[in-house]
Amino acid sequence: MFSKRLSNSEAHGTELTRTYEDAQLICREGETSAEMFVIRSGSVRVFKASTRGDIELAVLAKGDFFGEMSVLEGLPRDASAQASGSAEVLVMTPGALLVRLRRDPTFAFELLRRLSGRVRSLNARLIATLGASPQGADALLYQSEASAEGTSETKSLDPDPKPEARSEVRVESGRVS
Amino acid sequence: MIIDTRQERLLIVSDLHVGNPYSAASRNLGGFFEYARRERYNVCINGDGFEILQASFASLAADAVGVLKSIRSLIEAGLSVFYVVGNHDIALENFITAWSGIQITPFLNVSSGIERIRVEHGHLYDPSFVRSPRFYEWMTRAAGPLLHLYPDVYRLWTSYEDMKQRVKLSFRGGKGESSIYHEAARMLLSRGFDVVIFGHTHRSEDLTFEPGRRYVNSGNWVRGGTFVEIDHGKVALRQWKGAS
Repeated sequence: MFSKRLSNSEAHGTELTRTYEDAQLICREGETSAEMFVIRSGSVRVFKASTRGDIELAVLAKGDFFGEMSVLEGLPRDASAQASGSAEVLVMTPGALLVRLRRDPTFAFELLRRLSGRVRSLNARLIATLGASPQGADALLYQSEASAEGTSETKSLDPDPKPEARSEVRVESGRVS
Repeated sequence: MIIDTRQERLLIVSDLHVGNPYSAASRNLGGFFEYARRERYNVCINGDGFEILQASFASLAADAVGVLKSIRSLIEAGLSVFYVVGNHDIALENFITAWSGIQITPFLNVSSGIERIRVEHGHLYDPSFVRSPRFYEWMTRAAGPLLHLYPDVYRLWTSYEDMKQRVKLSFRGGKGESSIYHEAARMLLSRGFDVVIFGHTHRSEDLTFEPGRRYVNSGNWVRGGTFVEIDHGKVALRQWKGAS
């Protein structure tokens, strides 16, 4: 099993607390799961597998959270996470997340702030990749989103839309600011 | 907007209600801010620093200028001043930012030493405020004249909220926290904070729920003068006794 859990798993209302030993996997890239994690103590290493070995993306500390994309979209995980030293994490399913947001509204603010930062950084990278062409960036971002959602609109999208078409794209995609 | 910050030396005050005719804050804050400047502490005003709901414009104009000047002297000395928004000053957010370069924030996640500390005003957990902010605002305005009779009316309100919670608990067989703010603090502590600091209730408190999980309330400066001192991760609730 990918993440052999210790017996130390404790329920806190709708949430669970789990403890992991050093180097133990918390979640694995590619798996489908609807859990997100908040680090209560210790630290967690986030990495992606590549042909040249693991690429470390981040080392997260107490209070940081990860795995939120899987909870929100139900899609396979983007990266793996393992405990770096002993780590205790709070585990939230979508239902537990909703209860958390109701009772701890600032967590929603932190979550949205994280996602907003990610969109901003993706936009910047996209624009840099396309040679500072915002029109091309909009179109490419929309295409990738449409294809992830399995819609057929991808094929009909003009790669270099006119300004009025672009504004429509912006509204529909809902993520390009 | 800064939410996450590392602060080795930070002083936190809340509920100054500058502008409220019954607040003694503007008389005492000058010395306090001078102490912060001398001892090289950054400062955080944890909500309801300035009053708008129960302010007389004359009081606000008279008192705010002096306080803002003191704050500006901290900033000019290279110190940071954070302002966490409360329920009495939401409408003043832009005004405060424009006036003095204070860093406005909805809450602060402070790292200090090896501690992780949440600083938040706490009104978001006040059931009366959350249920109907407009009604709450109206009630607050209406309570203004009560200050003539009893300036600690805020603490009276907190006691009423506690009583309601105790009645609720008795129906639940005593399960749960004796205060809604303690319950909220526990929620925050469960996601990796070591200390949670609220204001709002006007009642200073320092409680350890379990080893390494603590709730502190910074009290008020309407009639009191309590503050929280953070020094390299050590958190202490203190009483301001003048600039001696």
